[in-house]
Amino acid sequence: MISFKNVSYSHNRESGIYNADLQINDGEFAFLIGPTGSGKTTIMRLIYMDLFPESGIVTVNGYHSNKIKHRKIPHLRRNIGMVFQDYHLLTDRTLFDNVALALHIVGTDSAELEDRVMDVLYEVGLEGKEDRKPNELSGGEQQRACLARALIKEPEIILADEPTGNLDPLAAFELIKLLEKINQEGTSIFMASHNYNLIKGRGHRIMEIHEGKLRNGQ
Amino acid sequence: MNKLAFLILEGLKNIWRHKLTVFTSVFSVFLTLMIIGSLFITIDNSNSLIKYLRSKYKIEVFFEKGISDKESKMILNKIRNISGVRNATYISSNDAIKIFKDQFGEDIHEMLGYNPLPSSTVVNIIDTGQEEFSVAPIIRSINNISGIDTVKYQGRLIQRIERFYQKFLNAFIIVAGVIIVITIFIISSTIRLTIYARREMIKTLKLIGATNLFIKTPFLLEGMFHGLFGALLATGTLIGLVHAGNLYINKILTFQINYQHTTTFWLIGISVVISLIGSYRAVSKII
Repeated sequence: MISFKNVSYSHNRESGIYNADLQINDGEFAFLIGPTGSGKTTIMRLIYMDLFPESGIVTVNGYHSNKIKHRKIPHLRRNIGMVFQDYHLLTDRTLFDNVALALHIVGTDSAELEDRVMDVLYEVGLEGKEDRKPNELSGGEQQRACLARALIKEPEIILADEPTGNLDPLAAFELIKLLEKINQEGTSIFMASHNYNLIKGRGHRIMEIHEGKLRNGQ
Repeated sequence: MNKLAFLILEGLKNIWRHKLTVFTSVFSVFLTLMIIGSLFITIDNSNSLIKYLRSKYKIEVFFEKGISDKESKMILNKIRNISGVRNATYISSNDAIKIFKDQFGEDIHEMLGYNPLPSSTVVNIIDTGQEEFSVAPIIRSINNISGIDTVKYQGRLIQRIERFYQKFLNAFIIVAGVIIVITIFIISSTIRLTIYARREMIKTLKLIGATNLFIKTPFLLEGMFHGLFGALLATGTLIGLVHAGNLYINKILTFQINYQHTTTFWLIGISVVISLIGSYRAVSKII
């Protein structure tokens, strides 16, 4: 599903990732732990091909970083659900419209769209809040809205980059539980975090990145 | 279809979201079209004047004396076949005596005992076309026909007017071109501002798998709507001004300012095209 073969990418002399090998299999739940600036987001961006490796090859769902055409990148991303620390919700739109955006992109018809949005909002526990704007939701709710927008595409994998970074411990715990539930339904989850206490002892593989060097990637 | 409806709706919503910047863009389109529209109307009305003058343009061709009727008819046919000639009316030497009598009250045949007036023809030229019309080639062609004695024409003043009209047309093309380029820049800057204001949305759309075309389309449509609104406002105002002008002019003159409805289509077409170019320029640079 996702593999890195000897991948290097540097933003400058002091930050980047070096000779990383990584493998995430179908249906797996894996954590990526590391301090701020260690390269977690770089790995995520390499996966959704916002960045391309300077050496090595990234392969995601059959797309290879050294072969993919620029116009194919949106297609790759449609199969990846993304959850970010700062949510990336559109503040001038309702929760419903934010979540529906991912379906508009693929031209889903309006009746199906409404059903699917309501279903996914129910799944993440935001039913009844579809008409609210993001600033009318709590941090935890905004993160679940972000997750709903990722889930609605029925992706094969969800990338979560520090999704609990802005949440209180209870909301963070609930989000992890929700991600685990989604994983049990077959979706692979790859989550980056710097909070070891939150992810330890949950029975999932933990990869570690420090100063651009990845450990336990395979 | 759902995707297209969504994109059109997004374009319209963008207009509402950026009312102030949209106002700048629509107003600049409005001003541009007011200037171009006014020039269109002026050209159209001066074209009518030129047409009128050309219809009055007469060339008198006198045939050599002693020419037979048959020969006169042959010359007449040759003149009618010259490019730029609308029609030619034959005046025999006997008709010329009658005309002389009508104008001067004297019978020249009785006075002199013979008819000194030659047969002739009055030639009218075509009165259509916006390009400068030159009578010189027609005169040259007529002079080359054997059996022609004298060619008289009163074209100097009309040619001067036509030359002025031609200069005006050339100036119009330059002025309109400059204004259009400026408007394209204004629309481009407005759309760019809109894009900057929506950069978070663009980033999010890219992350969730939107193609560049999907992201660009609402901005292109928004630009097109700016053009359309500006054009509708400008044509409405121009039609109103022409009507008001005619009401005022009618009190003094019989002249009417003419407003062709094709002008509306031209203005809408021009504005949509320049708006699309402006917005395409902006989205291509940023997205």
